[in-house]
Amino acid sequence: MSEIKIDEDLWDEDTEGVITAWLFDDGDSVSAGDVVAEVMVEKIQHEVEAPAGGTLSIKVAAEEAVNKGDVIGELS
Amino acid sequence: MTNENRKKRKLTIAKAMSEALAQEMRRDKNVFVMGEDVGALGGVFGTTQGLLDEFGKNRVRDTPISETAFIGAAVGAATMGMRPVVELMFVDFFGVCMDAIYNLAAKNAYFSGGHQPAPMVLMTSVGGGYSDAGQHSQCLYGTFAHLPGMKVVIPSNAYDAKGLMVSAIRDNNPVIFMFHKNLQGMGWLGTVKGSIVDVPEDSYTVPLGKAEIVREGEDVTLVGLGATVHQALDAAGELEKDGVSAEVIDLRSLVPLDRETVLNSVKKTGRLVVVDDDYQSYGVSGEIIATVVEQGVDFIKAAPKRVAYPDVPVPFSRPMEQHCLPNASKIRAAAQACF
Repeated sequence: MSEIKIDEDLWDEDTEGVITAWLFDDGDSVSAGDVVAEVMVEKIQHEVEAPAGGTLSIKVAAEEAVNKGDVIGELS
Repeated sequence: MTNENRKKRKLTIAKAMSEALAQEMRRDKNVFVMGEDVGALGGVFGTTQGLLDEFGKNRVRDTPISETAFIGAAVGAATMGMRPVVELMFVDFFGVCMDAIYNLAAKNAYFSGGHQPAPMVLMTSVGGGYSDAGQHSQCLYGTFAHLPGMKVVIPSNAYDAKGLMVSAIRDNNPVIFMFHKNLQGMGWLGTVKGSIVDVPEDSYTVPLGKAEIVREGEDVTLVGLGATVHQALDAAGELEKDGVSAEVIDLRSLVPLDRETVLNSVKKTGRLVVVDDDYQSYGVSGEIIATVVEQGVDFIKAAPKRVAYPDVPVPFSRPMEQHCLPNASKIRAAAQACF
């Protein structure tokens, strides 16, 4: 199992962001490198990629606030 | 149009527009992009993501805040054979560049006997609902659709956004490509989940001028465009609980307007509610109702209704703006009043 984690350097500021969209549904199969979610910080969109392939389990829903280092989903 | 076994992949409208632009720029060297913050930022509404890196500064041109100049330049480039895609960041700013759009681009094919058309796309954001007040929240569908010589389209989801953009770029007429801020998939503008859908990676077209029945029903026809399609779908879900079967039509294109799809639907249901987040008077809602009733009224079971934006400037205050905007409960009430 792999965690989908928000990289510490995904954005520069020390502010929280919000998941604006999950681009796959819970239970979808994704490949390593797929952009699975988008996170917005200060009106700028950042992409979150799947670190590995697998079946997606969403842990933090769209429109929820997130911080750098947060685990937002899992791949099994 | 693509193989059935391909992997599902959802995109926001912003990404779908960017992908359509990239694919058309690869296909045709005459396609280029101009506008404010379309370069490194990738567009304030995410419409030009990744383009600067792939195509460079000559084909992805960041402009100053100078709509009169750069939209005028796009019209000139288009009449000389290029296929510019220019972004008017907010449709509200059309005033300073309307001469280039309407007196030049829209009329040149006619004036030149078809020898010198202006094949350009003007993409522009529309809609409010996020407290950006009266100069950043208008739709102005009717303003543009009223004027002959231009096509006018608005997608309600990412699949249509990509296919309509490809069609718009390949069309020899100027096309006003309106995209609704609430549907763009950019968090600060409100995100309507129904707009983020599965989109094939391969290029494809969605024809300009063809409406889509997005939900079939028997008792009442709800007609919307852009964001109001999603409100109409929500209302249709509620109406089902009331025992009313609502058909929902997504216009997708205002010019050309697919009158036939609307007419056939109302001939079936006998009832019509038009939903429009543009100003009510002299606009889309009146045109749709006229389209139906001028064919006769014998098949109409109730007076057609409209849920549109009142004829007032868009308020900054959130409660006041929300009071003015169409929503699912207003649509549901309008539909119920047809029985």
